[in-house]
Amino acid sequence: MEATAIHELLKRRFGDDVLDFVDGHGQGARVAAARVAEIAQVLRDEDELDFESLMCLTGLDWDGYDESGKGKSVGILGYDELGKPETSDRVGEGELGVAYALYSHRHGHKFCLYARVPRQAPEVPSVSRVWPTAAWHEREAFDLVGVRFTGHPDLRRILLDDDWAGHPLRKDYQMPGVWQEVPLAGRSYAESKWGEDDVVLPDPGGDSGGGA
Amino acid sequence: MSEQVSTHGWQAQDEPHDLHSELLEINMGPQHPATHGVLRLLVHTDGEIVHEVTPVIGYLHRCAEKIAEGCDYRQWMVYTDRFDYLAPMNMNFGYAVAVENMLGVAVPERAEHIRVICAELQRIASHLIALGTFGLDMGAWTPLLYCFREREEILNIFERLSGGRMLYNYFDIGGLRFDAYDGFAEDVLDIINIMEQKIGEYNTLLSYNKIFVERTADVGIIDADDCYAYGCTGPVLRGAGVPFDCRKDDPYSIYDRFEFEIPYGEGEKGTIGDCWDRYMVRVREMYESCRIVRQALDAMPDGPIMAEDLKKLVKPPVGSLYTRTESSKGEIGFHIFSDGGARPFRNKVRSPSFSNLHVLEKVGPGLMISDLVATVGSLDIVLGEIDR
Repeated sequence: MEATAIHELLKRRFGDDVLDFVDGHGQGARVAAARVAEIAQVLRDEDELDFESLMCLTGLDWDGYDESGKGKSVGILGYDELGKPETSDRVGEGELGVAYALYSHRHGHKFCLYARVPRQAPEVPSVSRVWPTAAWHEREAFDLVGVRFTGHPDLRRILLDDDWAGHPLRKDYQMPGVWQEVPLAGRSYAESKWGEDDVVLPDPGGDSGGGA
Repeated sequence: MSEQVSTHGWQAQDEPHDLHSELLEINMGPQHPATHGVLRLLVHTDGEIVHEVTPVIGYLHRCAEKIAEGCDYRQWMVYTDRFDYLAPMNMNFGYAVAVENMLGVAVPERAEHIRVICAELQRIASHLIALGTFGLDMGAWTPLLYCFREREEILNIFERLSGGRMLYNYFDIGGLRFDAYDGFAEDVLDIINIMEQKIGEYNTLLSYNKIFVERTADVGIIDADDCYAYGCTGPVLRGAGVPFDCRKDDPYSIYDRFEFEIPYGEGEKGTIGDCWDRYMVRVREMYESCRIVRQALDAMPDGPIMAEDLKKLVKPPVGSLYTRTESSKGEIGFHIFSDGGARPFRNKVRSPSFSNLHVLEKVGPGLMISDLVATVGSLDIVLGEIDR
């Protein structure tokens, strides 16, 4: 089934909650985040659609996205040349998003769903009841981007530690300098206390060595 | 307590008895030889029977997706090597195809052929590790040594090609970093000739060994519906009797020109989708990879190895695209969101082992602990790509 036809079908079923068609590379539909789970159910169960496989679920932060296509989006904060975390007063704005890439083994067609949620209340219904594989993908999106999936059976961090603060894939995330009293960056090995005590740096000059 | 236990798999199916011990919570890993890396399995056991298993991952997390947003498309190729460090050529291939699809670049013929040869040799090398370590999990030491012997020959070829023995960074957006050396074709032909004989040797040593079959047949059965639901791909899906392979069903590069079969599990020794089926799919895939390499070698033309009209700094047009290719573990996908700039706005990696491991939560309960080891071994996971 053509992606446009799938979009039409969803549009008939869900009306205004299915927004415009996304053409180009990843063909699919923009949908209202609140009805993602119902739409997913139809996509899987409808005989002519039969998307039994969720290939990929991506969480992303649209903060500072350049709509013009010139690639002038806001960059991420990293560490500076000295290894100190870069800081910024800019408060993240814009929406968070979730993208679903679907495939049907029986029909061999693909489709994508794109949903956006406000940053202040990033809640998307979980599709883990429709595709169990989503449970881990959603945990990852929660962990790294901070999207909250309502109705998820076990929404915990998956890749990072349980006591990690913040969501690293947000564009306004600032890298930590210290975690659990361990300096992550900002001091080189030679600068650290250990380095001073234990490491004898080679003498760069002088004629103390000698020996032909 | 006893009520809870009896609802689960093994006792309900086999023999009803009311000998239950208290549930014991044990950690398998993160430092454990049978978890194939820094994986922790939180296992609740009732005696020898697994009651619940929860994989705990993230010990190897490096947030490569965040790094991707800070460097340009070509620079990030080197990080893909580190995902599946047993099959870096396949990872390189997947990422290169993903970016090229967004750019709409045509890769020169010679580069495509060398890519396919490398990817298939890498698949053999990766499956050799899978075979060897799976044998090791089952208590067979010898096959590991034989498998490493052949893998070594393949690594030697890769070393001469790229300079690296383990992490190659050999593919580039639009082609390859270096051309093949003189005598590459002869070297590859040599190893293919050897491999086709040696696979029979592994079958004698391991595949049809009675003890091995007893340990793996009818154990850890993952059926096709579970595979679809949990997103399992690669040998796990094919072991469940579904002949699905991205090289055939969603062709990329020049795979549509080659003749090869998709091996799939038929329940030869037990039930469809058991550990033995998943294992045997890998053995048979090595034959098929040899066939592809032969055809690619015959057809390999001379010519350039890089797309000529490609700038150093590539800028895919605005949009997003999910591209998948078949690595040795399954479907490796990259979902790239571009804002038209030199760096990806978001680059999500969908790794095969991530989903293949998830299914363990479903098949784990009811297994014996030793069968859990067999099941994990037969999934052939690599933690580098699970944690990314």
